[in-house]
Amino acid sequence: MKISTRWLGRHVDLTGISPKQIAEALTIHTAEVEGLEPFLPHLGKVVVGHVLSREKHPDADKLGVCQVDVGDGTTRQIVCGAANVAGGQRVAVALPGVELPGDFKIKVSKIRGVESQGMICSERELGLGDEHAGIWVLPESVAIGKPVALVLGLDDWVIEIDNKSLTHRPDLWGHRGVGIEVAALFGRELKRLDTSLPANASGPVFPVRIESASCSRYVALPIDGVSPRRSPDWLRALLFAVGQRPIDLLVDLSNFVMLDIGQPNHVFDRNALSKDGIVVRDARPGERMKTLDGVERALVPSDMLICSGDAPVALAGVMGGEGSKVAEGTRSLLLEVATFQPAVVRRTSQRLALRTDSSARFEKNLDPTLPMQAAGHFVRLLREIEPGATLPCPPTDVGPWRDPARTLQVRPERVRQLLGDDVPDDEVAGILTRLGFGVEKQGTVLAVRVPSARATKDVTIEQDLVEEVGRTRGYARIPERALVADIAPPKRDEGWNRRMLARALQDRLAGGARFRETISYSFVADDLLAKLGDENEPHVRVINSGVEGASRIRRSVMPSLLGLLEPNRRRRDTVALFEVGKGYVPECSSPKGEPAEVHELGIVLAAAATKDARFDATSLARLRASALDAVRAAGFAQVVERPLTAEDAPRWAHPVRGVTLHVGDARVGFVAELEPRLRRALGLVGDVDSDAAAALISLDALLNAERKPAAFRSLPKFPGVKVDVAVLVPATVRSGDLAAALEKSGKGLVEGVELFDLYAGGSVEAGKKSLAFHVRLLAADRTLTEEDVQKYLSRVERAVGELGGAVRKA
Amino acid sequence: MTTSTDPNSPLSLALAQLRGAADLEALKALERDLLGKSGPAGQILASIPTLPPEERKSAGARANEIKRALEEALSARKRELEDVALAAERTGGDFDATLPPAPLERGGLHPVTRVVRDLEDLFTSMGYTILDGPEVELDWYNFEALNIPKDHPARDAQDTFYCDPEGRVVLRTHTSPVQIRAMERMKPPFRAIVPGKVFRNEAVDASHEHTFHQMEGLVVGKDVSVGHLIGAMKTLLRGVFGKDIEIRLRPGYFPFVEPGFELDARCPFCSTGCRVCKQSTWIELLPCGMVHPNVLKSGGIDPEQWTGFAFGLGLSRLVMLRYGIDDVRHLLSGDLRFLEQF
Ligand SMILES: [Zn+2]
Repeated sequence: MKISTRWLGRHVDLTGISPKQIAEALTIHTAEVEGLEPFLPHLGKVVVGHVLSREKHPDADKLGVCQVDVGDGTTRQIVCGAANVAGGQRVAVALPGVELPGDFKIKVSKIRGVESQGMICSERELGLGDEHAGIWVLPESVAIGKPVALVLGLDDWVIEIDNKSLTHRPDLWGHRGVGIEVAALFGRELKRLDTSLPANASGPVFPVRIESASCSRYVALPIDGVSPRRSPDWLRALLFAVGQRPIDLLVDLSNFVMLDIGQPNHVFDRNALSKDGIVVRDARPGERMKTLDGVERALVPSDMLICSGDAPVALAGVMGGEGSKVAEGTRSLLLEVATFQPAVVRRTSQRLALRTDSSARFEKNLDPTLPMQAAGHFVRLLREIEPGATLPCPPTDVGPWRDPARTLQVRPERVRQLLGDDVPDDEVAGILTRLGFGVEKQGTVLAVRVPSARATKDVTIEQDLVEEVGRTRGYARIPERALVADIAPPKRDEGWNRRMLARALQDRLAGGARFRETISYSFVADDLLAKLGDENEPHVRVINSGVEGASRIRRSVMPSLLGLLEPNRRRRDTVALFEVGKGYVPECSSPKGEPAEVHELGIVLAAAATKDARFDATSLARLRASALDAVRAAGFAQVVERPLTAEDAPRWAHPVRGVTLHVGDARVGFVAELEPRLRRALGLVGDVDSDAAAALISLDALLNAERKPAAFRSLPKFPGVKVDVAVLVPATVRSGDLAAALEKSGKGLVEGVELFDLYAGGSVEAGKKSLAFHVRLLAADRTLTEEDVQKYLSRVERAVGELGGAVRKA
Repeated sequence: MTTSTDPNSPLSLALAQLRGAADLEALKALERDLLGKSGPAGQILASIPTLPPEERKSAGARANEIKRALEEALSARKRELEDVALAAERTGGDFDATLPPAPLERGGLHPVTRVVRDLEDLFTSMGYTILDGPEVELDWYNFEALNIPKDHPARDAQDTFYCDPEGRVVLRTHTSPVQIRAMERMKPPFRAIVPGKVFRNEAVDASHEHTFHQMEGLVVGKDVSVGHLIGAMKTLLRGVFGKDIEIRLRPGYFPFVEPGFELDARCPFCSTGCRVCKQSTWIELLPCGMVHPNVLKSGGIDPEQWTGFAFGLGLSRLVMLRYGIDDVRHLLSGDLRFLEQF
């Protein structure tokens, strides 16, 4: 909202207070000031000129050559194209050097061969609206040579207050309310404002009937003897300053009253209204009306209408209608000032995306005592300008409204306790009084009368008054305090455990395994779900998503990660990413409707595919090693892999090439190559053809599993022996079976078996593969001999033979 | 001992050879030759059996003398040559410090994780519990219980994503709903922080995201006051920026606090105005306030017995400030070019 300091000066004497001081005080004590700017600063340089004469331009019929006195002792010759310029006028002159809006710098120039030493300006050229039919003719009384801003009251500053910070302060939606605030902050007297209704004739009142439950007060005041003429310059200037376009006296006054005391109101041409009077009712299904902006609106029953007889003439609280607006011939008015239910106005204005100055105010819960004040204010202002205006009858005032003013108990002790500062009782009472509250001391408490302007919503409990005291004193005065309490170590509850588990997994993957952590959107793209074949899975859906291509919340972190593979592969040979995140499973919702939350670790690894990859360098192998290592490091040393089965495999996983991870009885995750069709669908083909694998580990399953840290074994007392075993076996023999055979052959002497080479093709005969293992033999009670090794190797030969293979001799 | 001064004696020749050895390798070869059986001492020793018995003793002594002299000369030359070799090695040869080392593959944590961990550790050390709450939240927790009933204008500013036509389930618009969940679970006094993702249905640009991170803070206790809030916020900023930072509280309206504040911090990056603080020297850092009595009541806590403060830190913004990130959209992009920088 824009506040003009000149306008503010109508309510409080600002002598000696700069606009900057006002803006700073409002920022610190009241609401967020977004801007402070001088109003049209060039108007301080444009001066009043006196047109001494106008003659025709020798070479152009439409141009005039004027001699203008600008008060500095010389006469300027100015070429002017306006038809309405004439000798004797006072006009606004921009002399060379002055810059006008739109980067328009005035220079001495020749126009059709005649020198022009400046410009006689129209209102539009000065930034004052769209009046450009001719030059701006100023009143006769203004002093020649003085800046236009000064003589016309246009020297002003505009303070812009963030509307959001006024959500709870309907009283600050007008200059009067801000004036009360400023007067209290600077300790100035508030100027009196008479808003009582002048005497009226005793004609029959205008009929008004309220049929809607959403209108609590409706004041209708007929006014005669008016005309929609141009408003006086002071009024136009104030409206301009706050960004309102002056239209005609009646509309301008209506706006002025709203911007002055915060109460929206509407002027109808009374002759355009039905003799049946005004009916306030809810809209009927299918009803339509054309609003002032010329748009035909389809209405719903939650909209409230102001009707003339049965015909809608205004959308209550939001905008007037076309048909009954004030026009050139208007001579008698009906002034409407009402109080509407905020929620109704808000819903209508939201539904129609029609936010107006009026709806913004009604939404805030306006003081219901304001309508009669607004009517009085309007009539008094009108009378000053148009003394012939009369009130043919008393105002109509209907509706079930009640004065919301109330009394609250305030304990000064509570004020001190909540603020944490020693504010004396007298200071509490003094501040509240300055802000317009009535204060009466009752023993140790203060009985505080909250005026209606603050009582509709803002100030309803004691704590609201604590804020009034705190902010007005200034929070900077409150001393800093340290919290004091017994400190116990945080509880090792589920949340703590999950966080520690996440940290351990993150650290291992980011550190040792050298994966990059990412955090993704919870939204998951529709096309990604389609590629995954997950589009028919139940998802939490956002019904008003503004996110392009995504309206669903992920069930798992996996889709988020899979979606990152292709774009990152375009830039990197290897993509190694993980995310610890949440998924939501709506089919498992709580009775209250909260979808079940799952906590997961997802890991993806994609590398440029090479034809002759080493057996241990595939993405799957690397990812298995990393996933196992991370789970072990997180405290589950007993984690083991089992072959993936097709029925267990998640949709993203290759049905065969993968493993499941198990801790005790619980399956805690999957590691697998990407399902081949999915890999292609994700775009990992052509240039970015990838060897891609993914892992999904359930933090929830891990948290339920028993934690077994690595167990210590005594260090060997006798040296062990390393033996290399190379075997040639049918391609169908599984590596794990071979390793198990090598271990079993040791009869307890084998401490470790490690595959270090796997080879097929080339010199190896078809249908076979060659594997080589390091085997560590160790006995707890003696040093092993060459004989032990030979016995072991012969047992190995038999065992490998049983698997259909043979040991290769070196 | 005249022979020792005879330049043509076997000893003199051998000593000259040792002193003139060009390098350690040559010296090793000379050691084999001159100190072995065929060397000057060796030859004398070999000749002893052929000598008359009375000469044998002196010949033996002579051989030992020669051997000692040769050994001395050998080790002296060895030291000399080692010094030369060390000096040569210390020159560094053709070492090129600008030649990059073989690249090391690195992993890394997300910048949000890094900042969250710092804050979690800071607050844990001050006795705060760290809580988590659901991203898909009930309207009750996100709005109603926080003193934001239906049709409250404050809902406008929140740009809510709704998950059902009745508006019962929403994507949480702030981490504040966990305030109520905390009150339901914990008996006062307590202190808690809640880092997490939040959602706003708004147009996305370099400084606006529909999904971002926040951290809620909540302290409930006896006689907790605005003064305590100020103290806690200063401690927070000291932890984040590593130095004392001036703050100011301005009135701010949030329905779940009363009084409510906007907390501004003196710009930590300048003293006279910069791009970060939009030349104002103040950075609007976080909304905070004293917990509204209605909110305490929603959480089952008697506002006459207990008071509290709450704050909502814009984590994404803090991460951007710390690392100088100029576009919020990088944070959740999963783009390795971004992630690799941390
Ligand atoms: Zn700065």
